[in-house]
Parts: sequence; structure tokens; C-alpha cells
Amino acid sequence: MLRHTLQRLLLVLPVLFGVLLVGFLLMQVVPTDPAQVRAGPTATQDVVEAIRQELGLNEPLWKQFLIYIGRLAQGDLGVSIINNVPVSQELGNTIGPTLELMVASLIWAIPLGMLLGTIGAYYRGSLLDRAIMAVSVAGVSLPVFFLGLGLIWLFGFKYPILPFTGRTGPLWTWEGIQGIIMPAITLGGVFVGPVARMTRTSVLDELGADHVRTARAKGLGEVTVLLRHTLRNALVPVVTLIGLQIGFLLGGAVVTETVFSWPGIGRLAVGAILSSDLPMAQGTIIVLSLGFILINLAVDVLYAVLDPRVRGA
Amino acid sequence: MSSVSDPLQQNLPPVAVARRVSVLRMLLSDVGACIALALVVLAVLGAAFAPWLSPTDPYGNDLANTLKPPGEFGLLGTDGQGRDMITRLLFGLRTTLLMGLASVVIGGLIGGVIGFAAAYYPRLSGLLMRLMDVLLSFPAILFGLAIAAIFGPGLPAVIIALAIATIPLMARVVRGSALVVLQQGYIEAARSLGLGDLHIILRYVLPNCLSAIFVFVTLRFGQVILLGAALSFLGLGAQPPTAELGAMAADGRNFLFFAPHVSVLPSIVIFVIVLAFNVLGDALRDALDPKLRK
Amino acid sequence: MTRLTALLLAGAASAAALATPAAAQQKAPLTILRIIDADRYDPVRSTATAAAEVVYMLADTLVTVDFDMKTIKPGLAESWTVSPDGKTYSFKLRKGVKFCDGRPMTPDDVVYSLKRWIDPAIKSPVAFRAGPVKDIRAEGDTVIYELKEPYSDLLFQLALSFASVVDKDTVEKLGQNFGVQGFNGTGPYCWVKWTPRQELVLKKNPYYDWGPPIYKNPKPQIDEIVWKVIPESNTLMAAIQAKQADVTYYMPYIALDTMQRMPGMTVQRQENYIYDVFMGFKVDKPVSKDKAIREAVNMAVDKQAIAKAIFFGKGTALPSLLNPAVLDYDKDTVAKMPKHDPAAAAKLLDEAGWKPGADGIREKDGQKATFTVYGIRNDINPRISEAMQADLRKIGIDMKIQLWDATVAWGKLATQEFDAFYMSYPYVTATEALNLYFASRQVPTPNRMNWKDPKTDELLKTAATAVDAQKRKEAIGAVQMQLTDANVWVPLASQPLWVVAGDRVEGVRAHGIYGAGLYKGLDIKLKR
Repeated sequence: MLRHTLQRLLLVLPVLFGVLLVGFLLMQVVPTDPAQVRAGPTATQDVVEAIRQELGLNEPLWKQFLIYIGRLAQGDLGVSIINNVPVSQELGNTIGPTLELMVASLIWAIPLGMLLGTIGAYYRGSLLDRAIMAVSVAGVSLPVFFLGLGLIWLFGFKYPILPFTGRTGPLWTWEGIQGIIMPAITLGGVFVGPVARMTRTSVLDELGADHVRTARAKGLGEVTVLLRHTLRNALVPVVTLIGLQIGFLLGGAVVTETVFSWPGIGRLAVGAILSSDLPMAQGTIIVLSLGFILINLAVDVLYAVLDPRVRGA
Repeated sequence: MSSVSDPLQQNLPPVAVARRVSVLRMLLSDVGACIALALVVLAVLGAAFAPWLSPTDPYGNDLANTLKPPGEFGLLGTDGQGRDMITRLLFGLRTTLLMGLASVVIGGLIGGVIGFAAAYYPRLSGLLMRLMDVLLSFPAILFGLAIAAIFGPGLPAVIIALAIATIPLMARVVRGSALVVLQQGYIEAARSLGLGDLHIILRYVLPNCLSAIFVFVTLRFGQVILLGAALSFLGLGAQPPTAELGAMAADGRNFLFFAPHVSVLPSIVIFVIVLAFNVLGDALRDALDPKLRK
Repeated sequence: MTRLTALLLAGAASAAALATPAAAQQKAPLTILRIIDADRYDPVRSTATAAAEVVYMLADTLVTVDFDMKTIKPGLAESWTVSPDGKTYSFKLRKGVKFCDGRPMTPDDVVYSLKRWIDPAIKSPVAFRAGPVKDIRAEGDTVIYELKEPYSDLLFQLALSFASVVDKDTVEKLGQNFGVQGFNGTGPYCWVKWTPRQELVLKKNPYYDWGPPIYKNPKPQIDEIVWKVIPESNTLMAAIQAKQADVTYYMPYIALDTMQRMPGMTVQRQENYIYDVFMGFKVDKPVSKDKAIREAVNMAVDKQAIAKAIFFGKGTALPSLLNPAVLDYDKDTVAKMPKHDPAAAAKLLDEAGWKPGADGIREKDGQKATFTVYGIRNDINPRISEAMQADLRKIGIDMKIQLWDATVAWGKLATQEFDAFYMSYPYVTATEALNLYFASRQVPTPNRMNWKDPKTDELLKTAATAVDAQKRKEAIGAVQMQLTDANVWVPLASQPLWVVAGDRVEGVRAHGIYGAGLYKGLDIKLKR
């Protein structure tokens, strides 16, 4: 299992390098001149040129990339060209809230999705199953911002019972929990559907499998059969799906963070890219892609834990 | 999958006509799928004939009659420029469907070629799939932002971003199903006959991957429309005066509490279209998956 | 399954560890909501309104501007004199002024701050506003501001946040991080903490009792102020309504009527607010160089309807090149400005040789009547541009719109890619506005019109260096008339300033200099 993990880890490195390069190049072809951004609206051309020199923007491209990689290796992500705040500091401030939001969304969405999927599979073809599937498909088809705005309208405007103007405190305080309810429902809401659908499919597969029939034949209770013999194996594809859907979730997080003024990394990324704050944008891209890669790495490892066949290999 | 194949299949066309018919029959026996199919057809027709169906000019203005609620000025009211909502929705549907189609087709073609290449040439596989992993590591929204920054916000930027985000997914789907097909006996046979690679891929591999591709494309279409709407929400989508459902929903949100129909109606249309494609995709998958067919 | 749970729990724990605990507060601070944050809060390094509106609270200027936007009042200078040649200003400083850290302010601090503004090493994008400075020095408790030539706008420019007095020690200690990690000024409120794009926390300056005479009480009366950023305007509106925040002047215009109807809510408008929206033409581009086109556009666009629809009846259409509320406004330009008349516009184009083409778009000598307009994607430009586009289509002109995100836009607006552009800008005097936009030395930015005219340059110079107020008014009036006649701009609307305050707040009065709706934030009290 350790070997499996190491192997995956080795595979991650070239991908990571690719991410760095693509991220760097993407930011290079952006036609916006960061010097102009810094100089502001009413600046004259000589001011802009002076700022270009100061930022080292007149160096050749490969040199800029090498300098960038060199600094990165030392853990220096640079400073924002707009307000001079170290990128690592900004990232540090925003990763926490984004993780909070992710955890708060997944902590109810995944169990609920799995529960719904299992129920659907167990009562396959029944009205209940159909209703669950209908709701799941509907959930997948709903624009994230629409769900968020709808919630604000309902619980912020019509019946003002929940705050929605950003993070209200740490998660372990009552204020913090109140503030995260609506963002977490919004982001988690679009995640219940896929999990339920995938769980249903894989539980269905497992219910027909030989070892489940054997377990039933042994006279084990239905709940035991479902939990121990079915769901455990059905988890493998569900976990894979969650890994793959993290990108989708990150995208949803950007929108959710915008709607609810959540101080997360998604909003930071949007702002940085749009304002041509190159070091900041690159920093957020690295962190977001790294997050994606790491979660998938974790999924791979989990895969091995859950599926003995992979573990043996 | 077993690598032992039906000896008869070696001389048969890979996709039997009978199977297609049964798939279609199965689809039509599913009420949900029928409704979804009808909705899709209706949407396509509405989009195609928008200029003839629309009661008014989609790009005019009537500033004296802005934000009229449904029923008061036209059946569905007016938007922030005083334009008839029905007209805008029809033209918006047109743009949105074209946007989805363009990005799925472009991304699907490129991803498909990469997927086949990765499956057929194992030596290329490592490099290509790592490249796909790199692409996959960027959430689609980030792509959209970066590309909008390069080309300027607008439909082309959204289409390119969504196409790029589709490439790695398509490549994975195609590679996965092509690998299974490549294990079949008739491919061995075709190879031993000395047929060219391209010929084998186009004549034998591709047709057998079509069902997987079809399911993927149908489901992806819905996702792409949703992603496009999210990009529009962040201000990167279609530029005025182009009517596009995502952009309409996003722009209309400024009036959400006062004239909700401006934002809600396009959101509902997006929802219904995506829902229809998802239901259709699910039904297709069920119909095409032999395991679920019994 | 248990391991999965453990993994999730580990994630939750790490998230919790990264989160910073909120400071305990005994009394709820005054929360002010706005849409965007500034890039930084160093007075001389940011041109953003979002920076100015906070810097006014953090620091003071030598002179201040009254609510009428025309009268200069004392600030850190209790009085001042101007030499007869208009080149030397002497400011007598007020006594007993202290920085937030308790250090008494000296004339040297004022000299340091003003010199920092124009220091070439700082590369301040607003250094030009200081005028042709010869020397700034302290003599006893007086600061002497000496110019190479007269600069009639000086006092107004000295009232802007860029001329704020800051503490030298803090500036040198923080370097580039001044206004990012900390601040030390003599304003009514002091810097506590800034979380970019989230909130900026200020607390009362305990020493402050030197507020400008435009306020009833020279002392700040609130312990803590939080400037909170809410990018989504629906959220902002609902937050005010749900009493999750106290004050804002970024309320969506559509919501103002509802706010007015709510018990306890105060909604007021600053009538003298100057923040104009216009479209400018590049006068050297194929289509927009034709004066007939520019004039026809001015006639075809229904400015009244646009101002009404865009601002939901809360805005005013601009009747002339400049805002009627501005100092040295020439009211005769109203008559010169073409009136809304699409039929006459079409006739004008016919006469100028622009004949309708097959697709309804006019043509002249093979050139289609098409032009591209650039602008910032804010909450009003998309709607204004779409409305104008429809108006222009009616007379056979095809206007293509390309809007850009706020920060990218400035780079785009510095290019020669477009034919016309949208701009909204705050200003204090006619001389300032027109010198900024129409002097030939300001090409390509901010003179994006590429307007190079010797007569304009001469009149602008005359106005800028005028010692006599009447002479200045005449010169700048002539420029207004000349530019109106040339139809270089399509003046659209005066963006209104409406301040909305909740029932907990009293004493709010809208000011709006350089967009800063609350200015010094004095006289504001919290009932509970």
C-alpha cells in the first residue's frame, strides 16, 4: 500500500510541473499590462514605463519563468503586484474559509447523497426511487447562483433568519455556524445529486453480486447486508466520483463565494486573474490545482483501502 | 470484459441494426425520456425559428416600459431595456444551444482524437494522459477566467474555455471504451489483415465506442450549459446585446427582488434544458448498458 | 467508512486551525457596506474611490470642502493666504493636532506628506494634481506652498485625499506596506486591521477634536467602524434591510423606493454630487472623426429616458458637457447641446452623405457607420450601452460594445483599439476636469479622445494659471463651449449619490467628494 501511494506520488510530479507551466503561460498571454493596472486610470505613459522596469516585466519570458520557479522552490510565491501583500499570506488567509465551506458542504451532502442512493437502489423501481432520482437529476441541473440567490431571497429577505454577508466567525461558534448554513446548502446542494446517482448505480450492481446473495442466504439482517456487504464495496466508485467532481465543486465554490461574499480562495482567484495580479493568480492556480491533485491522490489511496483487489496488486 | 469474442462477430458490422432499434424502443418506452426528448426537440425548434416566432425585435429598446411583470406587457413581461421576454428567451435559447453545441463538438473532437490515440498507441498513452491530467487539474471556471482575460469576455472565450475543459473528460471516456473494444477478437483479425490504423479506428473502434460517446456528450451538454451560465454570472459570458440565457439570468439578478421574472425565467429555461439532457443521457445509458437492460 | 470519516474530520480540524478567532466586541460597530475594495490605502498610491472614501476618515488634509462642493473650509490649516501673483500659498496650521499614536503633528509632517505626493521616486499616479510645485517648506507653524506658476485649482486639489498628512515614521517603517499593513494619520478614525476584499476595521482617534467646521461636532462619536465589502448588490441590499449593516451609499437604485418606505430607514440624496457618466469619441478614427456622426449620436440618444430607466427615476440626465453643480460651469452650453431628435439626426446624416445601406446601417464612401465602444463592466455601463445601441440602430448607426472588468479595463482604455469609450469620473472644478481630459499633453491617456487643439490648450492654460476668478471662469467657459460644439463627448447622466442608513444611526449626511459619501464620518451617532 505504501508502494502504491509512492507510485501515485511520483506520477503527480510531472502533472504538477505541467500545471505550473500552463499557469505561467496562461498568465503571460493575458494582454493586460500589469504596470498599467498599477499606475491607475489617469497615469501617463512614462509613469507606466517606469513601473514596467521596476516590476521586471521587460525581461524575456523564459527568464521570468526560471526566476519564478527558482523562487517557488524556496517557498516564495512572490507578492501581489497590486497591493504588495505576500501571496502566501493571502493564500493562508483564504484557504481556511474555503476548506470550511467545502467541509461544511460535503459533511451533509455526501451522507445524504449516499443515503438517498442506497434507499433508491434498495427500493428499485418504486415511486420512492423515482422521486429520489428525479430530485437528484433536478439538483444536478440547477445553476449554483440561482440556488444561492433563491436562498438569500427566502431566508435573508423574506424571512430574515440567517446571515449571508460572509464569514461570521469560526466554525465552532454559533455565529460561525449560522453564517455557513446558506453557503453550505448552496454548494452542497449541487453535490447531493451526483453522489446519490452514483451510489444508487453501484449499490444496484452490488445487490446482484454473489457475495451479497450468500450473505442473505446466511440469514444476516437486511441492514447488515446493506451496510457491511453492499455499501462498503459500492463506496469505491462513489469515492472516485467525489475525487473527479472536486473540480466541479471548486467551480461552484467560486460562484458560491461570490454570492455570499465568502472570504475564500475562489474569490481571491477570480479577483486576481481579472485584475492581472500575476503572482497572486499563479498562486491561487497552484493551490487550486494542487488541491485537486491531492484530493485525487487521497482518493487513489482510499481506493486501495476500500478495495482489497487494488490493495493486493 | 472477456477477450474471447463471438466468432460470428468477426465478419459482422460492429453495430447491429437490430440493437439500435431496440435501444430506441427502450428509450421510447420510458415516459421521462420521451418528455425530455420532446423538450429538447421543442427547444431546438424554438431556437432555430426564433426570428420567425418572436413577436418583437430582440435588440430594440422601450425604456418607458422596463421590467414589466408577466402579463402586463407581453405574455412574460419585459426586461431591463423594455424588451419582450419571450423574444429574448427564444434568442437566448438559440445562443445558449449553439454555445453548448460548439464547445462540446470542438472539445469532443479534440478529446476524441487524443483518446483514440492514447488507446491505440500505448507508447503515447502515458504522455497524453498526463497532459490530460494537467488540463483536468484546472477547474473549468479557472479556464474560463484565464481565457476571458486573454481574448476579452464574450462568447468565443466561453466556448474555448468550455471546449478545453471538455477535452480531458472526452479523452478519458474514449480511451476507456476504446481499450475495451481493442481487446476484442475482430480487432486482432483486422490487424492481421494488414488494415491501416486509421481504417481500423474509424471502421471498427469508433462505431463500438459510439454509445459511450453518445451518453457522455448528452450529459456533458447539460454540464456545459451550466458552466457557461456560471461564467456569465461572473461577468465573462456573452456581451450585450447578445441574448444568452446564462447572461440574462446573471444580468437580471440585479432586479431579483423587484422583478424576479427577468432572472427567474431564463434560469428556469436553463434548468429545464439541462434537466432534459440529463434525463435523456441517463435513459440512453440505461438503454445502452447491457447490465441494466435485463 | 470510519477512515473516510477520520479523513473528513482531519480536514475539518485543519480548516479550524487556519481560521482566526473573531475579536470579542462589547458593542456592535458601525458597519458600512460597499461593493469593491481598494488595492491599497496609501493616499498617494491609489486613485480608487474605494481608497479615498476610507483615507478621508484615516487622515486629514490642509483644507476641506463644504457640502456645496464649491466652498473651501479650514482643515489642518486654520487659515491661509495667497500671494497677489497667485504663486505662494501660506497655510497657518492648527495647534494640538495629534496622530493616532499620540505624537503631535508638526509642520514638517505636512511638508513631508506633500513632498511625498510629488516625489518622482514614489511615482504617484496623482502627482500632477499637486500642480507646478517649486518648493514646499515650513516656517514656524506655517507651511509655505510655492508654485512655479499660478495654479487656480490648488486648494481644491489639496482637499483631496491624495494630499493627506501621514506620519513619516510609520511610512518609513512600513515602506511599500504603508496603507496595506498599517496606517498612521491625524484623521477622526484610526487603522485597526485590513482583510483585503473583506473588511477594514477603524477605531476612534481618542485625541481628535479638530473636525472641519462643516460638521456640528468636531469629535468622532463612534467607537468602531467596519467597512465591509459585499460584491453582490442583492446581498448588500438584503443585508441593509435585514439590519445586518448600518450604512451604505452603494444601494442599487432600484431598491431606494423600498428602503424609503421602511420604518426607521433614512434615505437621502446629495444634490451637489459630481460623478458624471459620459461617452467620449476618438476624434481621429474613421467614423468617429466625422462631426456629423458625433452630433447625430448626441441627438439620437434619449438621455432623459436612459437616466430615468438606468437609475430608476433616481438619477438626472446631464444637460451639458459638465455638471451644472461644478465650479465655473458655463450654463450657456445647455443651449448649444443638441436636443433629442432622432428624425433630425437622420436628416443630418443624410445631408452629411451617410446613406442607408442594404442592412439598414448607413454608409459613406464605402465606410460603414460602425464604431466600437469600450467601457468598464460595472453595474450601469452594460445597461446604458445597450440602451444607446438600440437608439443608434434606429438612425442607422451600428455601435459595437465591449466591456471589460474594472482592473483590466484601464489597460484596454489606454490603447487605440476603440472608437469611443464610457467613463464615469468624480471632479471638483471645471478647470480640473477639462485640463485632465482635453490638454494635448494628456494624449493617449486620459485624453483618450486624441483631442489636440492649440486653442483648447491655450484656454486651458489660461484657466489653470488664472489668478483672477472671473478670468478663469471665462477661459474655461470658452473651452466648454468649444467642446460642446465639437460634440466630442456624449454627456449622459449624473450618477446620483444616495446614502441609506438604518434606524440605529443618526446624523448621517451625504457628502461625496471624490465619491466619498461619508467624507470624515463625523456627526454620525449610534442610538444603540
